[in-house]
Amino acid sequence: MIPAIHPRPSHRSLEVLVSSSRSHSRSRSRFAALGLTFAFLVSACGSGSATQAPAASAGCGGAVVPASPVASPACSFGYPATTDNASHEPSLAPTALTVGLGYIPSVQFAPFYLAQQQGWYKDAGLTVTFQNKIDPDLIALVGAGSIDVGIADGTSVIPAVSQAIPIQYIATLYGQFPNVVFAKASSGIKTAADLKGKKIGTPGRYGSGWIMLQALLGSAGLTTNDVQIVEYPDYTQRIAVAQGVVDAATGFSNNEPVQLELGGDPATVLHIDGITALPGPGLIAGKAAIETKHDAIAAFVAVTLRAMDEVKANPKAGLDAAIAAVPELASDRAGQAAVLTATIDSWTGPVQKEFGLGAIDSNGWVDSIAYMTTLGLVPNPVTVDRLVRTDLLPGGD
Amino acid sequence: MTQDRLVTRSSVLTVIGALVVFLLIWRAIVFIGGYPPFILPTPEAVFGRFLKAIGDGTIWPHFITTLQEVAFGFAVGAGAGVAIGYLLARSALVERLASPYLVAAQAVPILAIAPLLALWFGPGLLGKVVICSLIVFFPVAISTMVGIRSVDPRLLELGRSLRATRRQVLTTLEVPAALPSILGGMRVGVTLAVVGAVVGEWAGADRGLGVLINLARGSLFDIPLMFAALLTLALMGIVLYLAVVLVERRLVGVR
Repeated sequence: MIPAIHPRPSHRSLEVLVSSSRSHSRSRSRFAALGLTFAFLVSACGSGSATQAPAASAGCGGAVVPASPVASPACSFGYPATTDNASHEPSLAPTALTVGLGYIPSVQFAPFYLAQQQGWYKDAGLTVTFQNKIDPDLIALVGAGSIDVGIADGTSVIPAVSQAIPIQYIATLYGQFPNVVFAKASSGIKTAADLKGKKIGTPGRYGSGWIMLQALLGSAGLTTNDVQIVEYPDYTQRIAVAQGVVDAATGFSNNEPVQLELGGDPATVLHIDGITALPGPGLIAGKAAIETKHDAIAAFVAVTLRAMDEVKANPKAGLDAAIAAVPELASDRAGQAAVLTATIDSWTGPVQKEFGLGAIDSNGWVDSIAYMTTLGLVPNPVTVDRLVRTDLLPGGD
Repeated sequence: MTQDRLVTRSSVLTVIGALVVFLLIWRAIVFIGGYPPFILPTPEAVFGRFLKAIGDGTIWPHFITTLQEVAFGFAVGAGAGVAIGYLLARSALVERLASPYLVAAQAVPILAIAPLLALWFGPGLLGKVVICSLIVFFPVAISTMVGIRSVDPRLLELGRSLRATRRQVLTTLEVPAALPSILGGMRVGVTLAVVGAVVGEWAGADRGLGVLINLARGSLFDIPLMFAALLTLALMGIVLYLAVVLVERRLVGVR
């Protein structure tokens, strides 16, 4: 199969760079103005006292958008061979993309590290810079155009777009919703109904974990009033489960349960998938960035998905890339390998299994909007079209 | 009209004028910068959201929770600060023993240790009171120490020559002389208590204005609501500060 990441024509790249430079300049002046004003106010207060041939075309008009098929190991990640002669011309200047990953550098971002280290982004005509930010900050920064592409929870994208933050979800990273409830297998908890009356640890009553817990309990006819919530804002709920302080806890399928099992306690994991459709973390982009850097973002998505395929086929390459990017991870190579394995597993849900990594389940988003509306998290009506776009996926419409 | 009334009216007009200028500059920044509400909402959007949040009861439970934390935290922190500050002023041994630890504790960012304090004292009121107390303690202790040391030694000598008891010296000489300084420390402390409550809530809570800020910013993406919560905190800080100023005026007069 021939990959077809289209490098952008050189003159357009220059336009983008100029535009980007002007935009940064404007941003600087705005922030300078804000800074000056803030200083003034403080003093005042003081004185006052790459596209790819689609693997499948079915579903584009409805529920599922096909994504890239698994790349052939033989395929090149450099300027790809395409059927478009014009696209053989490399850009004079690469397009700069700032990409926001999660808060802490982690093995979970192995595909990004791998693609960067192997020069696949560069070969696609991109200069990619990574930043680590927490989810809410990242959404605002992407919406404001300070960051071009970021990773965000689908459950955050819905309220954000509802509040008119101009972002769109452009590729699924986690086909399975990664937030889960986990417990020791010895606890006897096997289903959501078993949670009734139990102590459940959670970092807080907010975010995707809290939404998942409400949905999971709701599937058994329970609410959070039917369990005893114990908050662990410092994310130590795994230790609380291990020590028996709580019966179960919320966490991520590729983190806490894995660590629990590495510590010698077999874990029971309750997933929300198949009960309530909730969109997992994926790539988001600002509407302005999509306008000005459409092809570059499409190329970024294509390369990233292909790197995910590569890591899926060869986890060791992903682990090595993560350790090269974050040397501290080397001190726990076995643990990191287990986390990466669990991460790779969670990339593929039913939709991704059928259409490839990155595919977006539009019907799932419709259900999610409906569910989150019942939780009061969608103050202004939103539609899937406003939340999600599929044309940046390889083979997307 | 008396001179006092003229001064009061002038002060009020100055405050209102400063507020109007502040709001105009804020509005101008939004207008000129073309900022969308999720970056910087307009003052009228914030005020409208503030009124709505008060009207529909969104803010009240959070406000009450934070106010309780601030009140208890300030009381404990200021009380301990006055007591330790006095000992620091009057005992060289206590000063030598405690000063390094006090300064070191002050140098450690409360934000860094707040999660640990929440772990030790739990996610309830106690944890927040401890965090507030710690943040209030230092300025009150230092201002008390400075105030007590500023008592004229000749007055103390006079007291001793008149065979005044320790208690009499404390109540008639030291406290009155140190009161302006102590209350100055409390002015700083009471505003820091508001900061401490929010830091404590960020370390783990299900209610409080700090929680509302996080919910508005991180879960609801309702930035006008976040600003409304910040406005509530600011108003709380201003009112508490003015309360200390009123106490100060009553006890030591206008300075």
